Amino acid sequence: MKSKVRKIVISGVMGAISIFLGASHLGFIPWFAGAALTIMHVPVIIGAVLEGPIVGIVIGLIFGVFSLLQGAIAPTGPADVWFVNPLVSILPRLAIGPCAWLVYRAVRGFKEVPGVAAAGIAGSLTNTVLVLGVLGLYKYLPWQLIGTIAVVNGGPEAALSAIITTAVITAWKGIQTRRQGSRV
Amino acid sequence: MMREKSEFEHLIKLSVGQYIPTGSVMHRLDPRIKVIMGALLVLSAIIIGSLISALILLAAVIFGLSLTRVQLKLALASLRHMAIFLVVLALIQIFTIPQLHSGASMLFQRGILKITDRSLISGILLIFRFVVIVLGLSLFSFSTSTTELIHSIEHLLRPLQKIGFPAHELALTAHISIRFIPILAGEAEQLMKAQASRGADFAYRKWNFIRKIRKMLPLLVPLFVVSLKHAHNLIEAMESRCYMGGKGRTSLIRLHAGLGDYLTLAVGCAVIASALLVSFADIDRTALEWVWKNITILF
Repeated sequence: MKSKVRKIVISGVMGAISIFLGASHLGFIPWFAGAALTIMHVPVIIGAVLEGPIVGIVIGLIFGVFSLLQGAIAPTGPADVWFVNPLVSILPRLAIGPCAWLVYRAVRGFKEVPGVAAAGIAGSLTNTVLVLGVLGLYKYLPWQLIGTIAVVNGGPEAALSAIITTAVITAWKGIQTRRQGSRV
Repeated sequence: MMREKSEFEHLIKLSVGQYIPTGSVMHRLDPRIKVIMGALLVLSAIIIGSLISALILLAAVIFGLSLTRVQLKLALASLRHMAIFLVVLALIQIFTIPQLHSGASMLFQRGILKITDRSLISGILLIFRFVVIVLGLSLFSFSTSTTELIHSIEHLLRPLQKIGFPAHELALTAHISIRFIPILAGEAEQLMKAQASRGADFAYRKWNFIRKIRKMLPLLVPLFVVSLKHAHNLIEAMESRCYMGGKGRTSLIRLHAGLGDYLTLAVGCAVIASALLVSFADIDRTALEWVWKNITILF
């Protein structure tokens, strides 16, 4: 039986990781032209895969509220200013968990590990598409530029999130893969 | 002896939402009232379409900030980071969105550069809107501690519990998150040191994306796994103490709203309502036209 306590604690801890990755800048990886790839949404995906869609929504909420506060109180770059709008920072993040969970449920039937990787990709793409979509609807950015960002930033972010999600969940659940241990 | 700051310490960088206890009137205000007013302020700042109502909100926020007895400099520091960008964003809005359709009149035209009264208003409004939200959130974070914030959110959501909304559970989740951040920072520091002692170099100089990721993985994966282990310890501890959730629990801190708190709420709502009324009355354009006419007469 999956208890309520379990859901509460996993949401809280994964939310804390998301906040920590953002606040310490460990969650940003420098990419072309000053833009940074972010992995702050990975805790949302991991929480959703481990504990279901509601936990995903709650972690997404924590992630969204934090990015709103970060945009308002301690902006790290020009793009952070847009995230003061809760429709950009909170609403899209609520959908990451449920999308990742649905894809995981759908693919898990065939095999566990590809299911987790697919969930990582789906969750990351949900984040990219919805955030950029809202930015486009608000006319903060022209649609052509949004298309470019979606490909240049969203693609590597999805790949990265799939790698980390798979690595963490296989390590946690003790799933046997060909490679064991880590290399530095 | 002062210890030297190393590249592994992350706790120092966590400065979002500083609480500065000065014991002022704003600090003693019921946190529930502060949460309601903060939410209303952010919402109305997004809705308003008028400069005068933005000025009303700005004046109210600055008045609130002066009541906290925190130096205004601290609140303005966060604005400084984004000042240049905001001006650029506003200029783009002024020049690229002429908005000629809704009966706007042309103020300035030279070549392809066009400014209409509508675009000028929307550009300046964009700056004001962000300033109001940023100062409002700083006002809130200066005067409200995280414990107060979480308790007040739980209290405010309590009526929704009757229809099955998990108010207590959400508050507990937020509390766990906040309490776990320092633990995670400590774990991350330890992990980075451990990997560095095995020869990992986290200071990246080149733009080598793949190499950077390969260096991050031995840090991130253990960080996730260690925090999941912490989570399991906490789950076991809570379950062995028979934690059953919100029903019938009493809390150590009880919130009491007095007459002064309700009066503040009434005044705050009145200010926000007047700002919204001004916004819907659309008196900006006549005011702006008047100012513009006088400027053109002067030169």
